[in-house]
Amino acid sequence: MKCKKCGGKAVINMRQHNMGLCKDDFLQWLPEQMLKHIEKQKMFTPDEKILVAVSGGKDSLALWDMLQILGYQADGLYIALGIDEGISYSSESQRLTEEFAKARDLNLHVVNMTSDYGIDLPTLAKETKRGRDKPCSSCGLVKRHEMNRIARDFGYDVLATGHNLDDEAATLFSNTLQWNGDYLIRQHPVLAERDGLARKVKPLFRFYEREMAAYTLLRGIEYIYDECPFAEGSTSTQYKELLNQLEHEHPGAKIHFFTKFLSAKKKGLFAEPTTEIVPELHICPSCGQPTSALELCTFCRMMEKSK
Amino acid sequence: MKKTSTIILRDKKYEVKAGSTLRVALRRLEILPESVICVREGELITEDNIIKEGETIKLVSVISGG
Repeated sequence: MKCKKCGGKAVINMRQHNMGLCKDDFLQWLPEQMLKHIEKQKMFTPDEKILVAVSGGKDSLALWDMLQILGYQADGLYIALGIDEGISYSSESQRLTEEFAKARDLNLHVVNMTSDYGIDLPTLAKETKRGRDKPCSSCGLVKRHEMNRIARDFGYDVLATGHNLDDEAATLFSNTLQWNGDYLIRQHPVLAERDGLARKVKPLFRFYEREMAAYTLLRGIEYIYDECPFAEGSTSTQYKELLNQLEHEHPGAKIHFFTKFLSAKKKGLFAEPTTEIVPELHICPSCGQPTSALELCTFCRMMEKSK
Repeated sequence: MKKTSTIILRDKKYEVKAGSTLRVALRRLEILPESVICVREGELITEDNIIKEGETIKLVSVISGG
């Protein structure tokens, strides 16, 4: 297959765009496309300070790399959750993230659950109803809390995560299957800043997971290849596989599913949020972060129970 | 003698017929091209490449869960 731009040997075939690209053209095209969507969606400006949530996986490291290439001021945040499960998952992903930052002289914040809160995530989850069977729900809660805390405490304008199109399409599929109206209304590549909650953006929302893997391999970025041991066989992985089957038969199915959803929302297909759907936020008396609860936020309640 | 090559995905090794395209080999192995990146001697290749006799092609899984 030939590169659509230069006629050289293609290294990736993107059937949804009817386009193959060589290494050099692909590595130029991807950051250019990301910049286009950052500007189109008004995610952030070059003057703003960005905090990138970095897990040591391909997507977040590629995102951080591309933000540097494009000249944005982006620092990283790694949250050490203490997941071992026989493969040293957290320590290995932390090592890769720290090496990435060190090699590029980038600023990285590290939150360590064990040293900062005295408990690792798997132990914390076991002690709560929410995470008794699987810690994924508690993990999401901890990450959201800590990402917002660091963004706020260090004065970042915006929080960027490495969610790609496959992540977004799988979430949309899940929310549609369950007709989760409030989640459908909130799902968007840009969530505005609100009452102490930092602005959240997903600059990779137009890129397939496959493109992100190709980017990291072509850039020589070492990332954690093993998936989180708790994510094996997860529903979101099953949905991604289903959507890939659809994509195989109908190239572009995934990107159309998500982008047409965004267009439909923009045209008013979904009702605007009402006060019942977007609850009023209060300040948690323990951590000072916004919460819909009248007293302690869910994070602080979970930490209290684990004591 | 049958001409074969090897495809590796995570810890699994598959013996495939040389001379056909990667696309055909992936279809026979029931692996969706959408879920992998094909790597030959450290270089990324597209699925229209012909598998050479005796070579090893590594597949990198692209799906991450969570």
